[in-house]
Amino acid sequence: METRSEEEGSRVELIDASEIEYVSYGGEHHLPLVMHLVDQELSEPYSIFTYRYFVYLWPHLSFLAFHKGKCVGTVVCKMGEHRNTFRGYIAMLVVIKPYRGRGIATELVTRSIKVMMESGCEEVTLEAEVTNKGALALYGRLGFIRAKRLFRYYLNGVDAFRLKLLLPRPELHPSLPMMADRDEPHTHDDHIPPEESSELYRGL
Amino acid sequence: MAHKPIESEARDPHVPVTSSISSGENTVWADVTSLLQAASQGLQEGELIHGDNFNLFAAMSALEIMDPKMDSGIVCKYYSVDEAIENGAAPVPLSFDKTIDVQCTIDIMDHLLSCEATWHKGHSLAQTVFSCIYLLRLDRTSSHAILHSYCRLIRATCKAVISVVSDARTHEEEDLFTMTYGLPLNGDGDGKCLSMLNAVEETISRQLRACKAPSSKKRVLEDIEPLQPNLDLEEGYCKALLCRLRFRKHFYHVLMCMRRPQGRGLELARKHIASCLSELECIYKSAEFLRSSACGNCEDGIEDKTTASGCEPIGFDASLNSRLSAPTPPRAIRILNWKKAIEYFKKLLHHLDIICSYSLDPSLEAVLRFVVQFQKPQPDLVARAHLQLLLVQDGKLYGRDPIFAVICRAAALPEVVKNHDIQKNEFVVQLGQLVINLLKILCTNAAWQRRKLGKILQDWRVIYVQLELAFKTEFGEMSSITNEENVCVKLSKHILIWVEEQTYWIASRFLMLGFELELYSPSEYCMVYWYIYVVLIKLAEKHHLKMVMSNDTGKRKGKKKRDSPKDVARDYQIPPAVLFLQCHISLAEGLTMLLAALRNENRVFQSLGPFNTEHEIFIQHFELLQQACIPDHISYLSFKDTTAYAQFSTLVMYNYFKDALRLAKELRSSFSNDPDRMAELRKIEQVAEHNGIALNVICRVGALDPSLKVSFEFNHHPYFATAVVRRS
Repeated sequence: METRSEEEGSRVELIDASEIEYVSYGGEHHLPLVMHLVDQELSEPYSIFTYRYFVYLWPHLSFLAFHKGKCVGTVVCKMGEHRNTFRGYIAMLVVIKPYRGRGIATELVTRSIKVMMESGCEEVTLEAEVTNKGALALYGRLGFIRAKRLFRYYLNGVDAFRLKLLLPRPELHPSLPMMADRDEPHTHDDHIPPEESSELYRGL
Repeated sequence: MAHKPIESEARDPHVPVTSSISSGENTVWADVTSLLQAASQGLQEGELIHGDNFNLFAAMSALEIMDPKMDSGIVCKYYSVDEAIENGAAPVPLSFDKTIDVQCTIDIMDHLLSCEATWHKGHSLAQTVFSCIYLLRLDRTSSHAILHSYCRLIRATCKAVISVVSDARTHEEEDLFTMTYGLPLNGDGDGKCLSMLNAVEETISRQLRACKAPSSKKRVLEDIEPLQPNLDLEEGYCKALLCRLRFRKHFYHVLMCMRRPQGRGLELARKHIASCLSELECIYKSAEFLRSSACGNCEDGIEDKTTASGCEPIGFDASLNSRLSAPTPPRAIRILNWKKAIEYFKKLLHHLDIICSYSLDPSLEAVLRFVVQFQKPQPDLVARAHLQLLLVQDGKLYGRDPIFAVICRAAALPEVVKNHDIQKNEFVVQLGQLVINLLKILCTNAAWQRRKLGKILQDWRVIYVQLELAFKTEFGEMSSITNEENVCVKLSKHILIWVEEQTYWIASRFLMLGFELELYSPSEYCMVYWYIYVVLIKLAEKHHLKMVMSNDTGKRKGKKKRDSPKDVARDYQIPPAVLFLQCHISLAEGLTMLLAALRNENRVFQSLGPFNTEHEIFIQHFELLQQACIPDHISYLSFKDTTAYAQFSTLVMYNYFKDALRLAKELRSSFSNDPDRMAELRKIEQVAEHNGIALNVICRVGALDPSLKVSFEFNHHPYFATAVVRRS
């Protein structure tokens, strides 16, 4: 499904990261907000039933981001058994244009993945257009690899990557400390802007 | 049933209220608006009706009626083809003014060419070629000889192309191509379409001759009616029509010739390809004349036009087929512009020509190299399907060489072995199937191809084990030393080593295609090059072993005394094919260590996600290889062991690139007759040279200098990266 959250966006106002409120999907009153965001930004038409399918069966996997009472971003996911693997799937991710480039999308996805991990997911997957540099960078930073290329996956003829995140199996890492406890100084990688990395660690 | 709700606002006020869908024999229209309204009052927001076949998952397929993106029943302009025709959308003749009729005919031909190219590139037939109303009702055009014969021939051509692609059966992701339900592709008398076209061509040729003849001679020539009344334009229009008709004819001949079994028609196909290209040139050149004589109101922006004249063609409407195209309404597509369409056909013909020029080399190794080379410019589906059908017919290579014979030759066995009974063994038969399957896979698009190559690794591993057991069972019980036993031992040894070699070859292609498909990010290059390195070492080893074995068996026949070690050493040199692999190995190793050093010392190109580690990334990328034990005893730990202590100060690293460079230069003489391998050697040299220099720069400046930025680009080679060092 689709992701729209290019990290380069015009910064309309100065917003502190703490001004963004993240809320788990709470019920029918959130549904129109999610639908409105997704319908606006993504090109594939979804009927209301599609949204209901996700948020009814997996409400704990969908999150909304608010700024001063306005819904500025959302992530919609599911999880389930798929060929003997318990797998999470990111169906939709949207952040409205003026709010892009601030790590909101990363935070939404991170929250969802954490719930997936807690629920026992072994891996997380999604598709993204090969031209969607923003999404590819976002998921790449989170440890997703490009597992496959899907020729002309989208109706407009664009190829897609199937992105997959393999979560560590406990038996492989018996003494692995929680990521948040890792004391290593965060290295200055070209790919992660400073604001991003501090958010990641703060969120955990 | 779709019926415009009376009370709600009409989305499109121009849609007629009276439905043009009549009641059927057992059906009658009923207005259920009030019923639905009453029912919807009975549900609270968020409630959903459940049924045996209707749950939340099934509900996702629901369509919202009158949503233009979901409801393919929406009427755009005309409800049906017949209605369009009734309203004059596709007049026959196109105009009562013969000049305009000719202009319009040419425009239709051009637009059809653009549609055809658009279809080939991955859109549905219904939205492209069969958006032509004349094609949807071909019989209506029978009074218009030119249009009729052209349409008949294009229909027969589409049918032939679909047949090739369907027969190849490896177009899973491109299945839009062969969808033809509801389209009138079969016509009586299409077999005569060529003779019809020839007759038309003959007439126009005479018209051309007549108009070019000086006026004094005109009375002598047969009394022929001109194409159209405007004598100044007669020559231009005749020529424009002729090249278009001829292109169509020759293209059809190309397809027919290439379909002939065992490559018998390839030489003739090449002649028709040459004619096609020459007619395409004429078509292209006709644009100037057609634009200048075009009827008035053609706007600027000639670039996007689908016709040479720049005018919109009459008789096309893609929406008429919307219900036939796909389950959901098709997205509006852009028909390729006319110039791009010509470029597409030039490219297609060029690729078909490469196929037709192929020497049908009986060596499997040569076939594999040919196919890999063929795929480099990313040929489209039609060309790839033709290649596949040439290579694999009736379970034989080129429909000519039985697969067991091909395997024996590839395994460097003597010719006589190809008749051995062992070919009836079920596992040997399976091996043959794997080879055929491999050839088919190699003809598909790169994305699909890589997935399939990954999946078959397990099959090739398993067949090795099964063959080993089978050979032991069949041959193991022979107690006396006979000639027969020698043959059997030789057979099993050679085939087994060849299976291993082939397996590593598949693994190497799987890994390298990942670069071409952009599946790896820079932080993953190190492990990928390392894996390529270990796989290539095995590949070289097996290849070398196979050649040594065939040398030995060859030698043993001729000589009675054992060679002295000195003789063996002197006579034996490492074969160039193995050295060719060796320079790839050196490059892979060099890149692995360079990237490892950068990671260890500069802490760049690392995988530092919050949810997993490099170990998970490794597992994911190499899962299929690891599962199939390709190679054995290789794991993430081996990777860490090799790379954990890579440092720039370790001088030995310099030699990887130097070795690759030296070796590549030495090999030039061995492959001087092989242009593809010469090109590859040149690329290897460039990568080796540039990387060697980059390494020097990094060491000289000091790896830890913060102003140093290293990136990797694929400017010299598709899968070996070149390090680019920048000072900021």
